[in-house]
Amino acid sequence: MTTRDGRGSTERGRLVRLGFVDADQASDCIATLSARGFFGAEDRFDDAWLEALGQVANPDQALLSLMAIVLALPDDQTQELGAQVDTTMVQRLVAVLGASRALGDFLSRHPAQIDALGAASLQLTMDQRRSTLLEAVGADPMVVGPVTTLPVRAANHALRIEYKRQLLQIAAADVADHAPMPWVGEQLADLASAALETALAIARSEVDDSHLCRLTIMGMGKTGGRELNYISDVDVIFVAEPEDGATEEQALRIGTALATAVIRNCGEANAEGSLWEVDAALRPEGKSGALVRTLASHTAYYQRWASTWEFQALLKSRWVAGDRPLAVEYLNNMAPMVWAAASRPDFVSNARAMRRRVEETIPAAQVERQLKLGPGGLRDVEFSVQLLQLVHGRDDFRLRSSTTLSALEALSTYGFVGRDDAAELDRAYQFLRTLEHRIQLVDLRRTHIVPEATDELRAIGRSMGFVTDPAKELVTAWRGHQREVRRLHEKLFYRPLLDAVARLEPGSARLTLEAAQARLVALGFADPAGALRQIEALTSGISRRATVQKALLPVMLSWFADSPDPDAGLLAFRQVSDALGSTPWYLRLLRDEGAAAERMARVLGSSVYASDLLLRAPDATVMFGDDDELAPAEPDVLLSEATAIVARQQDSNAAIVAIRGLRRRELLRTSIGDVLGQLSVNQVCTAVSTVADVVVEASLQAAIREIETRTGAALPTRIAVIGMGRFGGRELGYGSDADVMFVHDPLPGVDEEVAGRVALDVANELTRLLAAPAPDPPLLIDANLRPEGKQGPLVRSLASYASYYARWSLVWESQALLRAAPVAGDRELGEQFITLINPMRYPEEGLSIEDEREIRRIKARVETERLPRGTDPKLHLKLGPGGLADVEWTVQLLQLKHGFAVEGLRTTSTLEALEAAADEGLITREDANVLSLAWRRATHLRNVVMLTKGKAADALPTLATDQAKLAQLLTRGESTGGEVIEGYLRVTRRARAVVERVFYG
Amino acid sequence: MDKQTEFVLRTLEERDIRFVRLWFTDVLGFLKSVAVAPAELEAAFSEGIGFDGSAIQGFARVSESDMLARPDPSTFQVLPWRGESNGVARMFCEILMPDGSPSYADPRFVLQRALSKAADLGFTFYTHPEIEFYLLDQAPGEGRTPKPVDSGSYFDHTPNGVGHDFRREAITMLEAMGISVEFSHHEAGPGQNEIDLRYADALTTADNIMTFRLVIKEVALEQGVYATFMPKPFAQHPGSGMHTHLSLFEGDRNAFYEAGAEYQLSKTGRSFIAGLLRHAPEITAVTNQWVNSYKRLSGGGEAPSYVCWGHNNRSALVRVPMYKPQKDQSTRVEYRGLDSAANPYLAYALLLEAGLKGIQEGYELPAGADDDVWALSDAERRVMGIEPLPTSLDEAIKVMEKSELVAQTLGEHVFDVFLRNKRAEFDAYRSQVTQWELDTDLPVL
Repeated sequence: MTTRDGRGSTERGRLVRLGFVDADQASDCIATLSARGFFGAEDRFDDAWLEALGQVANPDQALLSLMAIVLALPDDQTQELGAQVDTTMVQRLVAVLGASRALGDFLSRHPAQIDALGAASLQLTMDQRRSTLLEAVGADPMVVGPVTTLPVRAANHALRIEYKRQLLQIAAADVADHAPMPWVGEQLADLASAALETALAIARSEVDDSHLCRLTIMGMGKTGGRELNYISDVDVIFVAEPEDGATEEQALRIGTALATAVIRNCGEANAEGSLWEVDAALRPEGKSGALVRTLASHTAYYQRWASTWEFQALLKSRWVAGDRPLAVEYLNNMAPMVWAAASRPDFVSNARAMRRRVEETIPAAQVERQLKLGPGGLRDVEFSVQLLQLVHGRDDFRLRSSTTLSALEALSTYGFVGRDDAAELDRAYQFLRTLEHRIQLVDLRRTHIVPEATDELRAIGRSMGFVTDPAKELVTAWRGHQREVRRLHEKLFYRPLLDAVARLEPGSARLTLEAAQARLVALGFADPAGALRQIEALTSGISRRATVQKALLPVMLSWFADSPDPDAGLLAFRQVSDALGSTPWYLRLLRDEGAAAERMARVLGSSVYASDLLLRAPDATVMFGDDDELAPAEPDVLLSEATAIVARQQDSNAAIVAIRGLRRRELLRTSIGDVLGQLSVNQVCTAVSTVADVVVEASLQAAIREIETRTGAALPTRIAVIGMGRFGGRELGYGSDADVMFVHDPLPGVDEEVAGRVALDVANELTRLLAAPAPDPPLLIDANLRPEGKQGPLVRSLASYASYYARWSLVWESQALLRAAPVAGDRELGEQFITLINPMRYPEEGLSIEDEREIRRIKARVETERLPRGTDPKLHLKLGPGGLADVEWTVQLLQLKHGFAVEGLRTTSTLEALEAAADEGLITREDANVLSLAWRRATHLRNVVMLTKGKAADALPTLATDQAKLAQLLTRGESTGGEVIEGYLRVTRRARAVVERVFYG
Repeated sequence: MDKQTEFVLRTLEERDIRFVRLWFTDVLGFLKSVAVAPAELEAAFSEGIGFDGSAIQGFARVSESDMLARPDPSTFQVLPWRGESNGVARMFCEILMPDGSPSYADPRFVLQRALSKAADLGFTFYTHPEIEFYLLDQAPGEGRTPKPVDSGSYFDHTPNGVGHDFRREAITMLEAMGISVEFSHHEAGPGQNEIDLRYADALTTADNIMTFRLVIKEVALEQGVYATFMPKPFAQHPGSGMHTHLSLFEGDRNAFYEAGAEYQLSKTGRSFIAGLLRHAPEITAVTNQWVNSYKRLSGGGEAPSYVCWGHNNRSALVRVPMYKPQKDQSTRVEYRGLDSAANPYLAYALLLEAGLKGIQEGYELPAGADDDVWALSDAERRVMGIEPLPTSLDEAIKVMEKSELVAQTLGEHVFDVFLRNKRAEFDAYRSQVTQWELDTDLPVL
């Protein structure tokens, strides 16, 4: 510092302005370099240096590296080196040093290599790269099958130095000369193939008789696509054929030895480090397959065995090293198969599975900072472009490029992807790849994670031209591009489908109808022609609705494609849209609330039941707009709404139509929550039961009013409706009937017979109203559990029940009464009824031995008799082994035996009673858990069957396709139908074992 | 696989193969076959051949009878007994559902699932069966008493014996089909023979056993005799077992071997045996699946009726063969319960899962039995904690019904179908009046 006194402070200020973080350290460095004579006798550390340093990614780092290089030299060479460096070289040198610590280290080991930066052009052809690398190891580039003349160790050393030298040039072109990203990828791929050629030349010197084998190395992945990273695995496939006079066995043996040596020569680290890993895992049969195969063997494999993703990988296949004519043959053999891949029967399901895999393979913690994997990552872009190439490339040669960006350009030029979308995606992809390059360049480390530390972000930001606040600007730009890429599927796959059916000016490139259909099939639509009709109907015209739908449909199509039944979903959407027309709130809902449209698409594509309810009154679409809308309604609120309807509508028929509309609305609400996975089984049962309570209560009021009007007098009796079975237990499913009993109690002084007749009229009216034809689904009232069943009177008075039960009462009736609970009508009467039956259902001292045996006997008979013919009992959710009936009867037997003593058992809820029995030790906790799980699983599946098929069914579907749909709704594609069935059978088998023990004893 | 495919296609041409039989196995272990012309093979490879599964024991319910059979090219073989030209070849198949997912009814898939579970734990499972069978003078017919072809006994070399020629012919044919034979000899009973197959991974072995049974029957037919794998065709002679040697490998290392341990048997090996023993009763209905199987088990001699293990003890259910120095890789255990009429896919899957359970849960191996267990009194056996195996199919079914291990291994579908079928078999048997009853009761009652 002493020599620069007086200049220090201004220089320090300049350094800070140029972007040095530690100006003192920088000053020291400059002083040291000066003292060593690097800047020449005149001390030429001038503006050229300063300006150059001010533009690099990390000036501090650049200066430190420069010092390290100089300190590694003897004094005299320092000056020599300094003299060599002209202005162009200064810029390139500091730019590389500022962007890459690793290349700085390389130069400090080999300062003489700095001259590489002096070249007028940093671009080399593939042949030039190949020649220089081969010559570096003493091999003759002009002969076929060059062999190194150096010993293996020395050759590998020389290979690494020449490789790094050229890498240095590419990096300089990238960061100093601002070469475009695709150029960098091409040069890196060429360098990699030259290195493979050289590694092969070294291998030939290691393997005996290497001339007997024609070995070619096919580049795959990014190497094949000529879009390589600075550092990543280099994907290859080896193909070998015998030279004339050699046998196939010899060729394979030698080829395998050569390939193994190539992999070692590239991957093994020595004093100069390694190049990269050579990865041959994309070969037939992957890691377990033979490393080297003959051409015929490759061809046969792809003809017979390869799955869709392997063809996708072949899209990028390209000769990179070794025997070139063989590579040409290889490509000629593969091409027809690759382009036929999209017509394979399993293409769609494979493509779906692959997309899931791409999205699932990242640890959640890294998702935010990942460039490569995950939704909207680089891999997703590459994957999607390849998928489109496979779908459309068969008929259109112009799409067959192995490079992502040129393929994207071709897709756009020929109308398979929208022009603006493609341009935007191109920009985003280039940005993200450049970012990836710059991150990797720092330490030449294979990483795809954006760093978090501000100083690292700052350096990378500077290297990409952000100056004001590099770290922050970089992150903002990155997030922006990421957002664009996240909407990739919409842009690439779906938006062009709209153009296919739109009336555009003639001549403009767009998807043909055939291509659109091919694409729809690839996306999982079973009826592409129908789907196109819906798309056309939804988007044609210039109405506001068509405009909004045009904007929204691409993303909605992607949601439909992910659901169990894309065709049904799209059709239902069109119907809703037709029904609602240009209703302002509907358009607003679609336009403003992304979540609403997504929910609607998922529900319509998953549930026939919910779609059907929605189409009965499309106004309910409003529910998709709000989370709160999907929570089950409060019972009180519902009841007052229903009561108000009855009060308002004097005509009971009209009242009941409105009441049933209310029920439909609530069932829709519940089924939407169910499909979206927001409600548990218990919540669904409770919600459906609550609606039934309210509907029966309101209908009873309407029926009473009707009868009172007809007779012209107030009702001479009190009436209550008692829920039985699942209704009483508050366990109703979507398709359940309402099991009830009617009880009445004549007012004081009224003739019992007169009162009875009126009560019967009320009950009949109630049943009629709820079953009458109307736009909304009926609630069927079933009173067959009453005393004497169908033969008995529909309505009895409390006194009649009392005398009946006192005289007759059979044990199965007691059992049925276990689930009796008042649901509507006179509350006090309901309580009186319960008081009356309590001694019946919770008999003092439990069951007699005879009664217990009787219950078991009835159950055993029911098991064999009640099953519908031709049903597989195992798949019957209600009556099958370990199914609902098994669990319920077991619990009910415990209730009958112990209800009088154990308060907790006196409940109509199966699960509550089971819990109480376990608390009391009447059943082991383990057994109770097994039963509870089986009951919940069967109940859930029964609901899901209703949701998917729209028809109530007590059995699981037997067709594999139906089972697959069920599985997709249940597990979002995690499991196959077979696995879901297997799981159900396992749970119920265990439950059956418990039933055998606990119930049958 | 790929070399094999080339071989398949080339061979079809070169050998002028007119039919390819696609083989699969029903739940009881009966071989099923669909013949296709070579031209249809391409479709069969990519999509499978559709067939009506409802006709196959345990495959499908009527409503979903459409199933697919997709051949496994690594199992391609020309059938040698069909002559050199206009030949017939076979491949084993996977059974698939119409949507391409594997069928839970396919016994081969049962074994594949068990093997992939073992693979997840780092193990490969090898088996080596010793298959016994009888040669009878003619095919069974009503009222005919079966007669063995000779009256030889263990290791007898009968001059001009049918059995001798028979074994030579059979072995030639097996070798022609790529099935290596380790050993063959006359067994203890008259007309009884034993042929030992070379050890291989369990799936290959099971395929080989299916092939073996057919080859033996075909060769017998050619020589005018009848071969049977019935577990116990003669009350007075020993039954036909299928003792199987089992070993687990971790990579290239035999996981049962440990230098210096007792019998050179590793902790893994000991736990595996403990697993076999603890679960032996519940898997017996599968390893010994016929009413007749239990006649063999209770017949004394070398048939194991009791759950115990021993070192070179020929009356024990599990035997640890003598360790031969320098043969670390051949450390193995022999399960002696199996009989020759078992479904090899299901039986091997269960033996593997029972052993793995022992390993995973670290079962302790009980003390070995050195005595002839048959010679012990009931009380002695009780004291030593030696339990009997189920003594009848009925008993075996009842134990199996309660077994979580068997249900999980077989899958719920096969588990259920198998039990139903076996219950029906036992019910049918129970309603019979046997010759023995007539002989002993009729004269005196």
